[in-house]
Amino acid sequence: MEKKKAGFAVAARLCVFAATLAGVFLTDGTDRTWIIAAMLFCVLAAQKAWKQCAGFAVFYGILSLLLYLIRFHGLRMAAFSEFHVFLFWWLTPVFMAAWNLVSAPPGMLSAFFARVHAPTGAILGLLVIFRFFPTMRAELHGLRESMHNRGLTGPAQVLRRPGNTFEYILVPMLLRCLQISDQLAVSAAARGIDTPGPRHSYYEQKLRVRDILAAALYAGAILVFLLIGGVK
Amino acid sequence: MIELENVSFAYAGEEPCIHGVDLRVAAGECVVFIGRSGNGKTTLTRLINGLAPYYYEGTLSGKLRIGGTDLAEIPQWERAKQIGCVFQDPRSQFFSAELAGEVAFGCENLGFSVQEIRDRTDGVIRTMGLDALRNTPLDRLSSGEKQKVAIASARAAGPRIFTFDEPTANLDEESAGQLSETLAELKRQGHTLVVAEHRLSWLMELADRFLYVDGGRLVREFSPRELALLSAGEAARIGLRRPCKTEPPLLPAADCRTGAAAEARRVCCTVGRKTIFRDIDFSASPGEVVAVTGRNGTGKTTFAKILCGLRRESGGSVLFSGKRLPPGRRRERVFYSANDTNTQFFTPSVEEEVLLLLPRREKELERARETLRRLGLYEYRTRHPATLSGGQKQRLSLACGVLSGRELLIFDEPTSGLDGGNMKIISDMLKQEAENGKTVLVITHDAELMEACCTHIFQMGGYRPGR
Repeated sequence: MEKKKAGFAVAARLCVFAATLAGVFLTDGTDRTWIIAAMLFCVLAAQKAWKQCAGFAVFYGILSLLLYLIRFHGLRMAAFSEFHVFLFWWLTPVFMAAWNLVSAPPGMLSAFFARVHAPTGAILGLLVIFRFFPTMRAELHGLRESMHNRGLTGPAQVLRRPGNTFEYILVPMLLRCLQISDQLAVSAAARGIDTPGPRHSYYEQKLRVRDILAAALYAGAILVFLLIGGVK
Repeated sequence: MIELENVSFAYAGEEPCIHGVDLRVAAGECVVFIGRSGNGKTTLTRLINGLAPYYYEGTLSGKLRIGGTDLAEIPQWERAKQIGCVFQDPRSQFFSAELAGEVAFGCENLGFSVQEIRDRTDGVIRTMGLDALRNTPLDRLSSGEKQKVAIASARAAGPRIFTFDEPTANLDEESAGQLSETLAELKRQGHTLVVAEHRLSWLMELADRFLYVDGGRLVREFSPRELALLSAGEAARIGLRRPCKTEPPLLPAADCRTGAAAEARRVCCTVGRKTIFRDIDFSASPGEVVAVTGRNGTGKTTFAKILCGLRRESGGSVLFSGKRLPPGRRRERVFYSANDTNTQFFTPSVEEEVLLLLPRREKELERARETLRRLGLYEYRTRHPATLSGGQKQRLSLACGVLSGRELLIFDEPTSGLDGGNMKIISDMLKQEAENGKTVLVITHDAELMEACCTHIFQMGGYRPGR
């Protein structure tokens, strides 16, 4: 539990996400969204999410440098235009706020949704989605290795029969999706998922002062940003 | 505690698979269902934990009581409080990415208060010695640790009965030993344990009774002593694994010999800053079946993947017939069958699968038919590989390897979770392929398999003296 305490409550993260959406999409000065990004770096730092901070800093730094070189030094790239670079640069604050929200422990998210009386099916769906990506990543890795092993990834094979190659990936993945969802459903049934009545969570916690303060400060700063910078 | 009175069951749309079972299990007793695959062991555990017919629909007749109450009168969520379930593959039953969330999941569902959820979760984590794993993502745990988390998760809700469906299918010998200790602790605390299992040695100290299931009937009951006295021939005849712990046989070491068909010289593997293994010297020649063994985490699978070109070595060299080959070329010569067969098949039928990328000449077709017959898969040739049982998938993977025509065949734990009969089929096939001039490597902890077919041994993480 201790480690989770550094992170903000889901409600605060949701508030940060909503304010970020408003700031990024309503501002009249899209070039000034770096201010929102800077604020989000502070939000991540306040939660001691150093790894996320460093990752986004590198990503945002590279995009900023590319944008600077394109605009002021005439850099031209074969694959990406100024539009692509700007789009990613502009949307980085949204990615940061979204990542901050979805990186909350699944138990904490389910607890939040249980508290706001979301249906059990929706909460279960949320948990399955969170398990889905890491599970599928492992499955894809296994599938790729098996394809290498069976000789299904050679250029001749792929180019001569692209439809078959697509089928070799898609069909086993779909079947694994079905098998995994079936096994998860059995696991859920065996663990009382259909119990009627209220549902609580291990991670359930009341909003702390720091959560309210963080959400209020962030939302207030976005409001000031929009008031000063202008709204579309 | 558990009473089955003339219980019969048929899955929806299928023939009955359980016939007139009578069974009484006392509180605190440990009962183990044994027997060949596909004879009803798993179904019996599902009937006891209520998943059949609640989830696995079908027709149930007879009386099934838990603690004196007819199971049909207890809603499934109420059964979840009384009966904890642990399945074969813990990976596929996790809902959370981290320990506490996973252990708490059942308690959260059952409507316990926040404080009770925390007390139960933290209590079970502490009792089972899992505190050190709190901050480790579940995907990164070893198979044994994952199984322990699955048990903790079932235990947190406070059931008096536990059902285990082949809980050691994915575990090595050491992890199975640890699981045995966990179950022994549950038994000491008065829990009733019902286990369906092929591997028997880890249960010999624990079980009160072994019930032999054949054709959906309980046909014989063994005490641990009676089972231990069963001759090897009799055990094999009724499709059982050896009940007593089998020591790996003394075999010549497969260390480096110049001129062998496949050689690894001073091969190292590092991932980031972590050294998986270093300076591996190994060789194997046609006609040999080499058992690659060693504790979990010593890099057996990684080594196999390097040999077959699915991974690149960090240092040293891999040679075939004395020539150093890059990974891409190695893949043309080596077939690798992973332990997890779920992502290994690509076509809509068993027969298509074994013929994938092979010429469809009569000779190849006849060889494929013959291989499928020998592996007991011919009658399933039109079935989709995904619909096969675990043992059938293992055999299909073996068939694909045999028919691939490659010179080195590597099988990763091909007998995990298999009964004695299937183990024999696989060991015979490996022996046959070696006699046909193939070089066979088998990553295994299975001493019975080693005894049945291996000619050499390669111990990862430290050598043991060979003969």
